[in-house]
Amino acid sequence: MLELCDVSKSYATPQGPLSVLAGISLRLPAGDSLALMGESGCGKSTLLHLAAGLDVPDSGRVILAGQALDTLSESRRSALRRHRLGLVFQAFHLVPSLSVSDNLRLQARLADREDSAWTDELLGRLGLIGMRDRYPEQLSGGQQQRLAIGRALAVRPDLLLADEPTGNLDERSADEVLTLLLALVADSGCALLMVTHSPRVAAPLNHCLRLSHGQLMEATP
Amino acid sequence: MSLAAYRTALLTLLSHYRRHPGQLVMLLVGLWVASALWSGVQAINASARDSYARAEALFSQQLDRIERRDGQPLRYEDFLTLRRDGAPVSPMVEGEVELADGTRLPVLGIDPLTLPEGGGLGAAQASETLLRFLRPPYRTRVAPETLATLSAEPGATPTLASGGTMPPLATDRTLPPELAVMDIAAAVVLLEASGPSHLVIAPEATLSLPDEWIRHSADNLTAPGQLTDSFHLNLTAMGLLALVVGLFIVHAALSLTLEQRLGLMRTLRALGLPGRPLVALLATELLILGLVGAMAGIASGVWLAQWLLPDVAASLQALYGERLGDELSLPWYYWAGGLTVTLGGLLTAGASSLWHAARLDILAMGRSQAWHGRFQRQLTGMAVAGGLLWLLAIGLGGWLHQLPPRAGLTLGFTMIAAALLGSALWLPPLLASLLAVLARTLRHRPLAQWAFADVNLQLPRLSVAMMALLIALSANLGVSSMVDGFRLTFLDWLDQRLVADLYLRPPADRYEAVADWLRERDGIDALLPTRDSETRLIDTPMQSTAQPVGLYGVTPHPRLRERWPLLDAISNDPWPAFQQGAVMINEQLALSSALSPGETLTLRTPQGPRAFQVAAVYADYGNPRGEVMLTTERLIERFQAPPGSIGLVLPPGRATDISALRDELSQHFGISRDSLIDQATLKQQSRTIFERTFAITRALNGLTLGVAGIALLTSLLAQAPQRRRQLAPLWAQGVSRRRLTGIGLCQLGGTALITACLAVPLGLALAWSLVAKINVAAFGWRLPLHVFPEHIATTLVLAVAVTLLAALLPAWRLWRLPPGHLLREFDAS
Repeated sequence: MLELCDVSKSYATPQGPLSVLAGISLRLPAGDSLALMGESGCGKSTLLHLAAGLDVPDSGRVILAGQALDTLSESRRSALRRHRLGLVFQAFHLVPSLSVSDNLRLQARLADREDSAWTDELLGRLGLIGMRDRYPEQLSGGQQQRLAIGRALAVRPDLLLADEPTGNLDERSADEVLTLLLALVADSGCALLMVTHSPRVAAPLNHCLRLSHGQLMEATP
Repeated sequence: MSLAAYRTALLTLLSHYRRHPGQLVMLLVGLWVASALWSGVQAINASARDSYARAEALFSQQLDRIERRDGQPLRYEDFLTLRRDGAPVSPMVEGEVELADGTRLPVLGIDPLTLPEGGGLGAAQASETLLRFLRPPYRTRVAPETLATLSAEPGATPTLASGGTMPPLATDRTLPPELAVMDIAAAVVLLEASGPSHLVIAPEATLSLPDEWIRHSADNLTAPGQLTDSFHLNLTAMGLLALVVGLFIVHAALSLTLEQRLGLMRTLRALGLPGRPLVALLATELLILGLVGAMAGIASGVWLAQWLLPDVAASLQALYGERLGDELSLPWYYWAGGLTVTLGGLLTAGASSLWHAARLDILAMGRSQAWHGRFQRQLTGMAVAGGLLWLLAIGLGGWLHQLPPRAGLTLGFTMIAAALLGSALWLPPLLASLLAVLARTLRHRPLAQWAFADVNLQLPRLSVAMMALLIALSANLGVSSMVDGFRLTFLDWLDQRLVADLYLRPPADRYEAVADWLRERDGIDALLPTRDSETRLIDTPMQSTAQPVGLYGVTPHPRLRERWPLLDAISNDPWPAFQQGAVMINEQLALSSALSPGETLTLRTPQGPRAFQVAAVYADYGNPRGEVMLTTERLIERFQAPPGSIGLVLPPGRATDISALRDELSQHFGISRDSLIDQATLKQQSRTIFERTFAITRALNGLTLGVAGIALLTSLLAQAPQRRRQLAPLWAQGVSRRRLTGIGLCQLGGTALITACLAVPLGLALAWSLVAKINVAAFGWRLPLHVFPEHIATTLVLAVAVTLLAALLPAWRLWRLPPGHLLREFDAS
């Protein structure tokens, strides 16, 4: 489903180029799940952005759903993201001016794949059915993250990329959100790549890798 | 992507305004006011141009005019004699009738059978059944606007004050407003004329006229549009100023809404909306808002124009003798032009924001620092662009200096626009530098240091409103200095020019008899007859073709000699030379022909070209043409000028019964009582015309300042929530709400004061450009520059007042905010 081949990425800083990814490779088959761990600032989010086609590597190749992202135009990369990917951010990134229901359906509508039965089911499973007309600011942090997960899954993606999905939540909410996320991912059959620095969050996933000094290594949560 | 997907994305973008209706209001208000003032001015201009076009069409064949040299009325025999000699002349009678309700309506009587073909008059005979026009009860052809003014229907026969009736009305769209055209037979009866006023002839027709006749070439008649161009350009400039100030609001609002939607745009991009469609959707949003704002603006503009039109019409009639209808006449291009200019302005105002949004990469979109970082870079760009605009302004000023008078008006306004915009662009870098220095200087006083640093943080949004304020204040100071300076000069000049106590214009056939009778009458010290005519000036240093000039004959009575407004002369006392045959010329002619006292000019006279020495140059405000002044005696002798008016000098310190004089003139010569006007009435009439002329300028100027105030208010309201989030930490650290409110008002008041301090020199520079450059380019004469300290004080007070007024509502809201809300703002910050 996702393959990174010898990918490197560095950023310009006043002190010179800062290498965050130095020729890393990984492979995530369809339906599989992988936790990516590491210290803050080690490049986890950069890797996730490259995988989503939000950023481009300095060298190497990212292959998503069989398509090399570097060969695609910006428009084609967007289409791929719209139809095949689900994204969950640490800061939720919900649209504050849209209701819960409209937020949930947003990506599915953009992709012309809205399925009312599925989104209604999602609302129910996320525990947001009675809040469909509320706005994000009227929800708690846990509810907002559940909504963000629902938005990502409403399009029935092949791959879900989650960036610290429980990083902004307290322990209890984090557990609830994680359990729900894994259950929904299992039901939908999509692959999951989750960035986290918490071993407890990484533990339920099939594989775990640690990113350190720009290199990936096998890890146990 | 499907249409439904685009619709979803567009609705998502628009949903931002549901949470921030203030920003939507700010955008629409900006568009509305910009479009309203611009459209209002353009509606007046379009309506006036339509009137001029019809007036010009009336003389479209540029017919030459034949009159008697002595000003006596023509007789039918004269016409018949010329026709019998084969001259293709046609008679016309002109006059004015008074209707029963007191309305005065100009009447033109034509003879369609002899009229040279073509043009509006020709069209009149083609469109009307000729027999109906020629036969009793005849027809009165009027423009639709005139029909509306008379509140009459076609076929109606308006009653005259004298008790008679006009021939039945018929509509003619080709005629200008405020004019009735009918067959000469009907007009002569209606006007109680003894014969035609003049004859017309096609310019190409050759004709040798006896000495007592004069043929005025159609070339000498200036088309109405030419005369009034400068007036309309002034209006356009004021409208443009309002448009620019309004677009500043739009720019500020757009930057704010885009900045606040960076997160939303990042989310949409992350969810798979490509960059180009996103920018296209933002442009669509702009288009929708632009159409709503422009349509509201155009509707308000038409209303504004309808409200201002009577004043404009009165000014144009008083200044140029041009008649406009009371109804707006708006061609299709007015509506299209209004929409295009507003949408074009919107695109200009939003282009930089759209361009920036298009260039931001997805990951940078979420960081508002990316947007703020842009402002820091923009400051350098603004300083450079401001410098370039000032260089352009200086260059245009130099070019304008090389041009002859009455040329380069558009160039002059472009120069002013470049200087104003250049200065506005310099304002943010100047403010930023000044605030940074103040913040550093006051680093030992934490709250003061914070206050200056905080204003610097607010600059990205505040600066645009301050730029609008700078432009509005400078324009206000510049225009009010020009108008009040003009008033002082004009009143002084009126005192100098109006030397006689009474003025009388007797009919030409009774002129000599009236003059003789007045000379004999007791209680009149002296008569100052004046006459006017026209001729051509041959071979001047600046023009090789013969230039039409007016001729003005005066009687150099001691009172006139003492007061006549001379600007330059061959000696301290040029009057003896004047009495011996030298001429004086007005400033317009001196500037346009580069003639100075002591030089010689050559005029075309009935006896052939004749040279005259220039003895002096005099001020002649309000006259659109070059003029040569001679003694009345010499004007009669050399140019056979027709009789004009007579000034009556009354003995000083002795009361003269003016009413009795009017009665006697009426009894002895059948002259209406209105023909004798006293000096005070004449001055009052001139003052009224002056005030009406500048009423529009003042109104538009005040409205522009109002627009700048709205710019400030809307930008302060729009950023109020963010401000509260910035203030909440300070409140949490123990600074009271009262103090925070006070600091906020001081921050804004201080910034406005700095802006006003910069507006003062800019306003004075603008006033100088208007009196020394624009006036010369528009009218051919310049005004002295007057500096009014009270205007400068008003500018400073106005700036602070407008700003504090705009800041009052957000400050009051902060003041009234329950502590619980501030707590939540603190949590959010």
